[in-house]
Amino acid sequence: MTSTAPTTPAPSTRERPRPGAEHDSGGVRRLWRSVRVPVVLFAALLLVGVLLSLGGEQFPSGRLEPGNPEPSGARAFSRLLAEDADVTVARDSASAAQAVERTGEDTVLLVFLDHRMLPEELDTLSELGTDTVLVQPSLRSLEAFAPGTDVTGRADDEDSLEPECALPAAAAAGSAEVAGELYSADDAVVAQTCYPSDDGSALIRVDSPHGGTTTVVGTGTFLTNRDLDADGNAALALNLTSAEHVVWLRPDAPQEAGGSDIQDLLPAGLLWSAVPLALTLLLLALWRGRRLGALVHESLPVVVRASETTEGRAGLYRSRSARDRVAAALRTGFLERSVPKLGLNTDSGSQAVVATLAARTGDDPHHLGQLLYPGPNDPYVADDDAMLGLSEALDELTRKLR
Amino acid sequence: MVVTGRAVLLALLATGAVAISGQIGETVTYVAVGLVVLLVVLDVALATSPRRMRLTREGETSLRLGDSASVSVLVGNPTKRRLRGSVRDAWPPSSHSAPKARPLRVDAGERRRITTTLTPTRRGDARSAGVTVRSVGPLGLAGRQVTLQAPWTVRTLPPFHSRRHLPGKLSRLRELEGQHTAMVRGQGSEFDSLRDYVPGDDVRSIDWRATARNDGVVVRTWRPERDRRILIVLDTGRTSAGRVGDTPRLDHAMDAALLLTALAGKAGDRVDFMAYDRAVRAQVKASGKGSQVRRVVEAMAPLEAELVESDPAGLVSTILSQGRSRRLVVLLTDLNTTALEEGLLPRLPLLSSHHLLLVAGVKDPKVEEMAAERGSAAALYRAASAERTVSERHRISAELRRMGAEVVDADPEHIAPALADAYINLKAQGRL
Repeated sequence: MTSTAPTTPAPSTRERPRPGAEHDSGGVRRLWRSVRVPVVLFAALLLVGVLLSLGGEQFPSGRLEPGNPEPSGARAFSRLLAEDADVTVARDSASAAQAVERTGEDTVLLVFLDHRMLPEELDTLSELGTDTVLVQPSLRSLEAFAPGTDVTGRADDEDSLEPECALPAAAAAGSAEVAGELYSADDAVVAQTCYPSDDGSALIRVDSPHGGTTTVVGTGTFLTNRDLDADGNAALALNLTSAEHVVWLRPDAPQEAGGSDIQDLLPAGLLWSAVPLALTLLLLALWRGRRLGALVHESLPVVVRASETTEGRAGLYRSRSARDRVAAALRTGFLERSVPKLGLNTDSGSQAVVATLAARTGDDPHHLGQLLYPGPNDPYVADDDAMLGLSEALDELTRKLR
Repeated sequence: MVVTGRAVLLALLATGAVAISGQIGETVTYVAVGLVVLLVVLDVALATSPRRMRLTREGETSLRLGDSASVSVLVGNPTKRRLRGSVRDAWPPSSHSAPKARPLRVDAGERRRITTTLTPTRRGDARSAGVTVRSVGPLGLAGRQVTLQAPWTVRTLPPFHSRRHLPGKLSRLRELEGQHTAMVRGQGSEFDSLRDYVPGDDVRSIDWRATARNDGVVVRTWRPERDRRILIVLDTGRTSAGRVGDTPRLDHAMDAALLLTALAGKAGDRVDFMAYDRAVRAQVKASGKGSQVRRVVEAMAPLEAELVESDPAGLVSTILSQGRSRRLVVLLTDLNTTALEEGLLPRLPLLSSHHLLLVAGVKDPKVEEMAAERGSAAALYRAASAERTVSERHRISAELRRMGAEVVDADPEHIAPALADAYINLKAQGRL
C-alpha cells in the first residue's frame, strides 16, 4: 500500500525484474546499511565495557567500612584483624546478635554508627553480655551499654594523647590519636579511664550491667586506613579487639518505611491517559514523519575550481618559503611580457635585454642586471622584504615601459 | 498508510477524556483507544484506492539551460468514488520543480491535470521520479498513498549564450565573400565566375582566354571554399571538470563549439562533432540536411566531464580512422602542460600531416588576478604561482604553434568569438 517504486529505471535491454521483489531485497539491504553503523558501535562499546570491567574489583564505600580501601575506610584494620581472629561483619543488629551467640565466649562486639539502630535493638545487643567496643557511641548507646558514663567534652584539636592509665591494652599501645569525644563516669561506677584530656578521657572501660566489659572510644579516626599506621593506633586497635572472634557491626542506614507511592496520589484517570497519549504520539509521528513519496536521488557533478592547482602551488611556495622560486617566476613573467615590447625576441641574450631596457628607461644597467639576471648570490631572496622590493622594482619597470 | 492531523487531534481528545474520567478510567481508556483505532482503520479502508489511478503524461521534452519547462500529468480516476488527497510529481532536486506537492480532487470517472514547472540548474536529462498519490478517506482521518510511475524525460540543452555573437560573425563572413572578388587569389581558393575588369583588380587574375573572346578585359573571381570539413572534438577528460567562474570548462567549450558549428554551417562547411576522453562519448556526423546545431546540442546535453585522464593517442587514431580527407580539427581542451606534453605533442606530427589542428583552451581569469596580487609576502607567493601557470600556458601554446597547430587561448567571455575569428581567418587565408 505504501511502497515506493525504485527511482532508477531498469535497463531496457534485460528483462525487468518484478518490482515488488526488487523493492523487498533493496529494502532489506537499505535497512541493514542504515543500522549497521549503530549496531557495530554498540557492540564495540559493549566489548570495551566488558573488557574494562574484567580487571576491576568493586569495593564498598563508606567511613570505617571493613572492605573500603579509601583513606576513610577500614580495610587495612579488618585485614589485620582477620590474620589472628575470626571476623564476622554484621549489617544489622539481628545478625550481629546471631553471630555473637554462635561464636560463644571469646568474642568482641565492635560497634560503629550505632545511631542507625533503634533503642530496642541497642537494648537487645547490650543484653548479650559480651565484651563490646563502642566507637563514638550515641548517648542512647552509652545508656544501654555503659550506664553511669557520660560525654563531658570534646578534644578535637589535639593530635595524640598519652594513655596515663593501668589498662594493659592502652598502656602497651602508648600514645594514640584518639582525640574525639571525651567521657567521664559517675563516682558510683567502677571505670578505667585512659587518654585523659581537659574535660574527660578519650577511652573508658566499664563493666556492662549484663556481663562483660564495655569499652568506649571517642573517635574512630585511629582505625581508618589513613591513620592506622601512626603512633600506637594499630596497637591500641588490636589490643582492644584481642579475642578469638570479632563481630564487626556496622549497620546499614535504615530504610524509610511507610509513605505513599506516587501511584496512590494520582487520580486513576490520569494514569490511564498514558495509553491514549502513547497512541497520540504514535499518530503524531506518523502524521509528521510520512513523506509524500520517497526522496529523489541524483548524482552530482564534481565541483573543483580550475585554479586549484595554482592555489595549491602558492600554498606550497608559502609553506616552504620558496623565495627563489617566487623571484624566478616574477622575473620570467616580466621578461615574457616585456621582451617583445622592446623589439627583441626570446633568443636575445641577457646583455641585449639589459642594454635595451637601460636605454629605454634610463636606469643603471648594472642595477638592471642585478634585478633581472642575478648571479648565484641573489640579493632579492634574502627575506620577504627583499622579495617585496623585487616585485615593486619590476612593477616600476613595467610602468616605465608602458 | 497515512494519517492526518485530524487523527492526531482525535487521539488528543481521547487522551483528555481519559484524563478526566476518574475512577472509571480503565473502561474509558478501552473505549476511547478502540474508537480512535476503529475510525482510523475504517477511514483507511474506505479511502479510494490510489493504485487504481491512471496517469498520462504530456508536456515539453527539452529546454535550454536557464529556461523553464512545464510538464503535466493527467490523473484519471476510473473508479466510482471521488478521490481526495494530495499529489506530488517528483523530479530530481536540480530540476527545481514547483510546486512540490498540491491538494488533489478527482471526481469519479474524471481526469485532473497536474502541471509542474521545471527550472533545471544542470544540463542533461532529468527523469521523472514517480508520481505519489495520497488518498484520504471520507472522515479525513487517514488514508493510503502509493507512488506510481509516469515516465518522462526532460532534456536540458546547453544554453548557447554565444548565440549573440552569431550575427556579427556572419556579417564578417559575408564581407569575406564579397571582399574576395577583389583579392589576390588565395592558395586553394575556388573559381567562382568571370566579370568585367574594373580598375584596381589584380592584373594577375585577368583571364586572357575569356578576354580574347569578349570585347573588354575579363577577370576571374574567387570565393572562399565551400564544403570543407570541420571536426569539433570536445575533451571530456578530467581537465574539463575544473570550474572557471561557476561553470565547468566543458560548458564554456560547448558554448564556443556551438557558435563555431552555427557559423560553419552558414558558411557551407560540413561540421562533425565528437566528444572524447578515453572513448567516444558522443558523435554527430555531418548530414548535409537541416541545421547541424540542433543535432550537436542534443548530443552535448547529457555530456559530463569524466574524472579520467584523456587519451590523446586514442583520440588521434580515432580521428585518423574517420577518413583521410583533409579537414580542420578543432580540439577544445585545457592548455595543460603535463597533459598535452605527454599526450598530444608526440602525436601531433601524425595528425598535422593529414589535417589542420586548431587547439582552443579556456583561460581562468582567476589566475590572471592572482598574478597581479601584490603587497604582502603571502600575495607574492600566490602571484608567483600564477605567473608560473601563465608562463607554462604560453610555453605550451608556443610549442603547439611551432609544430603547426593553431592555438586559441581566451577567457570564458571571449573563447567563443575568438574561436569564430580564428575560423574566419583560416577561411580568409584559404587554409581550410
